[in-house]
Formats: sequence, structure tokens, C-alpha cells
Amino acid sequence: MSKIEVMDKTVEKVIIPLKQHEGAICTPLVAKGDKVLVGQKIGDCNESPFCASVHSSVAGEVISIEEVPHPNGKRVESIIVQPDEEQRSVDFVKQDDLNPSELIEAIKNAGIVENYGVPTHMVLAPLNKNIDTVIINATSSEWIQGDYSDPGDYASSIISSLKILMKAANVSKGAIVLRNDDAESINAFERTTYNGEHVHVAPLVGNRKIDYYFDDMNTDIVVVSQKPMYGKSLFNLFTERVTGRKVSKTCDPSDVGVAICGLKSAKAVHDAINDGKPFYETVIKVSGAVNTPQRILVKIGTPIKDVIEACEGYVGEPGKLIVNGPLTGTAQFTDEVPVTKDMISIYVQNEEDMETLEAIECIHCGRCVDNCPVDLVPARIATLVDRGRYDECMELFVMNCIECGKCSAVCPSKRHILQLIKYAKVSLSRVYPDAVKESDSMHSSCMMNGGQ
Amino acid sequence: MRFTISAPPHKKTGLTVKNIMWSKVFALIPVSIISIYFFGLPALWILFASVLAAVLAEYSIQKTFDQKITIRDGNAVLIGLMLALIIPPEAPFWIPIVGAAFAVIIGKHAFGGLGSYLFHPVLAAWIFLMIAWSEHMTPASFPYADQITDIFLENAAGFLVEVSPIALIGGVYLILRRYLDWRIPLTFTFTIVLLALIFGENLEYLVTGVLIFGILFIATDPSTSPVTKQGRIYYGILCGLLTFIYGYFSVNYGYAALYGIFLANCVTAFLERITFPKEYGTPSIFEKSYITLKEKISNRGIK
Repeated sequence: MSKIEVMDKTVEKVIIPLKQHEGAICTPLVAKGDKVLVGQKIGDCNESPFCASVHSSVAGEVISIEEVPHPNGKRVESIIVQPDEEQRSVDFVKQDDLNPSELIEAIKNAGIVENYGVPTHMVLAPLNKNIDTVIINATSSEWIQGDYSDPGDYASSIISSLKILMKAANVSKGAIVLRNDDAESINAFERTTYNGEHVHVAPLVGNRKIDYYFDDMNTDIVVVSQKPMYGKSLFNLFTERVTGRKVSKTCDPSDVGVAICGLKSAKAVHDAINDGKPFYETVIKVSGAVNTPQRILVKIGTPIKDVIEACEGYVGEPGKLIVNGPLTGTAQFTDEVPVTKDMISIYVQNEEDMETLEAIECIHCGRCVDNCPVDLVPARIATLVDRGRYDECMELFVMNCIECGKCSAVCPSKRHILQLIKYAKVSLSRVYPDAVKESDSMHSSCMMNGGQ
Repeated sequence: MRFTISAPPHKKTGLTVKNIMWSKVFALIPVSIISIYFFGLPALWILFASVLAAVLAEYSIQKTFDQKITIRDGNAVLIGLMLALIIPPEAPFWIPIVGAAFAVIIGKHAFGGLGSYLFHPVLAAWIFLMIAWSEHMTPASFPYADQITDIFLENAAGFLVEVSPIALIGGVYLILRRYLDWRIPLTFTFTIVLLALIFGENLEYLVTGVLIFGILFIATDPSTSPVTKQGRIYYGILCGLLTFIYGYFSVNYGYAALYGIFLANCVTAFLERITFPKEYGTPSIFEKSYITLKEKISNRGIK
């Protein structure tokens, strides 16, 4: 693994969106002309639990508070800070010996957000639900050692993060899931110790899910490995594979008592509790048509333009700027957008690498069927959507689609299957708002047949 | 700086329909060359006339109906080449021309073009030629592998494709590269060999170029085979069964393969319909019985 570069150049301005999570937007705590310090809280939640505070990543002067482009494609109210020469920070206080509810409050105050947008404290302590297992998902390729340069350091600090997360969620079981093809991480974990014993990385095979290993090893933390999985909305599938608990489509892992955290938020929690540092910097993988592709530690709010500059600029004329991976990521219309908390990677495509082939007729080769992780027939659904026959799509379980984009990626006819499916899902949810309502009433049943 | 925006995914496979079609054409070139070597000029004329007629037919029909000209995708060339390979070398000069034109115009375009046809155009054209001019379409003799060298170079006459079963090995390579589906050829071969063993059929009869050609190239055609995973398995089994029934009673596995696959094409849509996958997360019958069994055992343990 390459080492992590640190971006220490002072940028012209830093854009900190007040909404970098799903849920309510923060209210600014500062006004134009105010001086802020590194790590100072500048946006706070108004009583809403589904929210995460934002902090300034630089010391400087607030030059304006206005709506500017956000990586999700919309315009979001943001605080724009002009950094000073001298970077002074607030005093970071180490927070020890907290009880679970204080820990949750500390995580909320540190503004930690999962990479799929949900604030971490909501994952650990969802409303009206009981969590009994915390899982750190280290299977997605972007996350492996993403924030660490040394595998040994990675293994030990992830285990200590998991301990904090378990304490915060007030549970006695925690698991770390690695990918089975990542020998480097597996070796690193096997070399670390937990409770004086060597960690053993167990494979998830057949019926041997994590519950089996909890009993077998007689421990409260297990490290397991499984096939790599990607996609933000695959958590139900992930939960089933790891714990053996089925999560139906209208439920989420918390309904069966499972909290899933990403590596990035696990590290942020570790830093927030052990060093008192709020979530104001993150590691981003920059790849594609840039001169020095690298992993780089940047301050949240740094415009992408400056991150690319830190990677010594574009190679040739850039065609597409994609945030968060080429399969499910969002293409940006400008490189003035800031780095946000949920950003993992930046991928630059040149003009000639862009997909420009025209879609032709479906030849029924069935590649989309072979690749669909949720057993759909994307080819048939796409054809039906194209003709506006949405109800028939519903019968083919189009609402189960997790929008991973594999069907479009493997299609030899280059059909825009994912786009058509998304279109059908939006249209169907307009026609049948009940489908959404149903999910609320279903939650009680989720609890009954799932969980313990 | 200007950036392009578009919906994800931003990176797609390099595989295109064009690649698939042309790679099939290339996989059939060895057998074509051997047939020219073996049968001489008549074979060359049949191959040339059939491909040319198919391409011209495609061009003229797309021009007439003001459609986009899609000759470059290789589908017309493939249809022409495949049809030529199942014509006997003694056929009169106009047979490949009429056949290829029929395949493209009626077999392919009358049913809606690429991806929409119900019957494989090559099979439709072959059956048309067979019924209309059976005297010209019947080869001088029907070869089968009675000695080991026949696998490499067949001595009897037959269709062009029957000169060398081993020359069709390119199809296996395409399956390994995942250009062709693997379920259909596997279940097809398995079914037919199994039935042959059960009924004591001479396995030598099965090693004919046309049967192997049918298994590797015709049965795997994406448009005429089901799109679901299970459906493809059933389709392969059905192809094997129908081929064996015809072959067992006529001792002509070449014809059997072509008629068998043609009949299996008829039920493709039905197979697809009955094998649509269940909603994700629905336990299968096997899983259900496993769960109940496990519960029973654990209940007994408590008692």
C-alpha cells in the first residue's frame, strides 16, 4: 500500500456545506466577518436527532454564507472561509471514561457521518430500535486501509475503534469484516492481539456466520473475511451474509439489531474520542487522469480543484470528474465543489475514456441477469420501462433494485438499464406512495421475525 | 474548464455486440477454410455467395425501411456464414443466395431485427430450403466418427461444417471467454450423452460437425434462448431431449440437432416466463426444508 500524502498547502478559500449528511440542515453558528479556528463548530443541529454538526477545517475569516454547488449536484448553503497565514486550532480535549449516552453525544458533536450519508450516532443508536451487534465493514475496495499507511497500525486502531463503537452502542458483540482476497489486511489482523490473545481471521463460509464464531472463540470481537462487496445500498445483503439474519427490502439492518459502520467513520470516532478531534479532515483516493494518483489527507471543504492541483494537475484535458467511484458515483459539472464528509474518491476521465457508445437493441444475452446481486431480470425490466409499462415492472420486483449499476456496466448493447430502472422507481413511488408508507408499518414486523 | 455530466455507471465493459458477432465469425473461420480445402471451389462459392447475399439483403431491407444500416455489427455476416456451413457442397449455385436472403429478410427482419427474432434465422432458412428443395439440400452421405481421424478430417461428404468437428473448438474458447453462455452447451451435451448411454445409442453417431455446431453456435444464440439462468438450463435440456428423440429414430444427429433446436426455440418464451426469478430473499424449496428440519432438530434437543 502506498503511503498517504498530506495536503498542507493553504488554499484560497474553503467551502464548508452545512449539510453533508442525510437529514436536517445545520444552522450556522457564525456570521460573515467572524474569525474561526481549526475544529471550531460552525454549524449545529436544531434539536433534530437526524443531523450531524459541521466544523471548520481551517482557521480564518468567514467571507460569506451562501448557496454554492455541492458534489451531489445541488446547491447547498455553505460557509466560505478564507484561511489565515497562521493556523490556530481549538484545544482538543481527550474524552475518556464516557458512558454510552455521553459517547453518542460526543460522536454527534464531532459531526461523524457514514460514507453513505447517515450520521454515525443514528446508526449506533437508532430511534426505538435495539442494536446487539456492531459490524465494521472493511470489504469495499475504497476503504481498505484507506486512512492508514501501515497495516499493523490499521489493524490495532480498527480494533480499538470497534471497542469504542460497541461501548457507544452499548452492545457486547462486535465484528470486523475484511475481504478474503486482501491478504495484507488479513495478515495485519492476525499479527495483532486482543485481550492478550492473537486475533484469528475466520472465513465466513456456509452456515458459519459471526454468531457461530462468537460462541466458538468465546470472545466479544471477531474478525471475519468474505467476498468483496460494493455499493452503498447493499447493507441488507451484507447483513444477511455476515450475520445470517434476513433483512427484507423495506427494513434495514438496524431492524435485526445490526449496526454497520464504515472504516472512515470508525477512524473518525477513534480520533474524536481519543484525541478530541472533530471530523474535519479525511483521506481521499485520487485516481484516473491526474499526474500523481495518490491517497491524500485533505481538509473537508477544500475545493476539488485544489486537491487535483495537489496531485500535480490533470493529464491532458479532463472530460469527466467523478466523485465516489466510476460505477455509482456522481459526475461533477464543476471542479469548484468542496470535499465533503461522505467523499471517498475522485476519479478523472479523459475525453477519450468516456463512454460514448450509443445504445442498441437488447440481444437477450442475459449478462445483466447473471450479474444482478438481487436476482432481477434487468433486461426485461428496462424494456418494459421503455414502453411505460411500470406496473409490470413492479411485478418483476423493480423496487428491490439496489442501483449498483452492474447491469449497465456489463451490457454489450450499452443500454442505459440503470437509468431506466431508476426512472421506473421514481414513477412508481409517485403513483403508489403507499409503497413508501408501507415500509413504516412494516418495521414492527421486521423486528418480530428478525433479530434475536 | 468544461466537464461532461452523465448518469452512472461511468465505466462500462469493453465488450460490445459487435465484438461478440465478429468473434463468432472468427471462431468459424478454421472450419470454413478446411471445408474449402476439402470440397474445393463449390464450398468457396457457397461461403462467398451466402455471406454476400446476407449482407446485401440486410443493406437493402434497412435502406428500404429507412433504418440505420447495421452491417458493421457483423450479424448479417454471421448469419450468412452459419447458413453456408449447413449447406451441402453439391447444392446448386443459387441455393445459398436464396437461403441467406430468406434468413435475413424473413428470419431476422420480419420478426423485428436483431434481438427480436423468435426462431434462429439460420435454422428458419435451413428448414425453408429443406422443405422447398430437399433434393438439392440432401448431402451425398451422412458422416459420423467411426474412426479417430474423423474428428480431425471427415472423409464422408455432408454439410460444409462436417469436414472437421475439431475445427469448431473456437466455440469452446468463446465459452471460456464468456462470449457465449456456458449453461446451454453444458446441459445440452450432458442430456444427449446421458440419453445415448441409457438407450444404448452408438456414441460415434453423436460426433458430427453439425451437432457440435448446433450445440456451440446455434443453441447459444442469445435472442432465441431464455434470458433467465434457470431458463437456459431447461432450454439446454430440452434441446438435448428433442435432438435425441429425432436422432434416435432417424440415426441422423445432424438433422436432429437442427430440428431439435428449432423446436426448442418455440418454447423459449414459455421457459423464460416460468423461470422468472422469485423475489430476492425468498427462500427456495431446498432452503425452506432445511430450515424446518433444523427447527425440528433443535426443538427435539430442548425436549
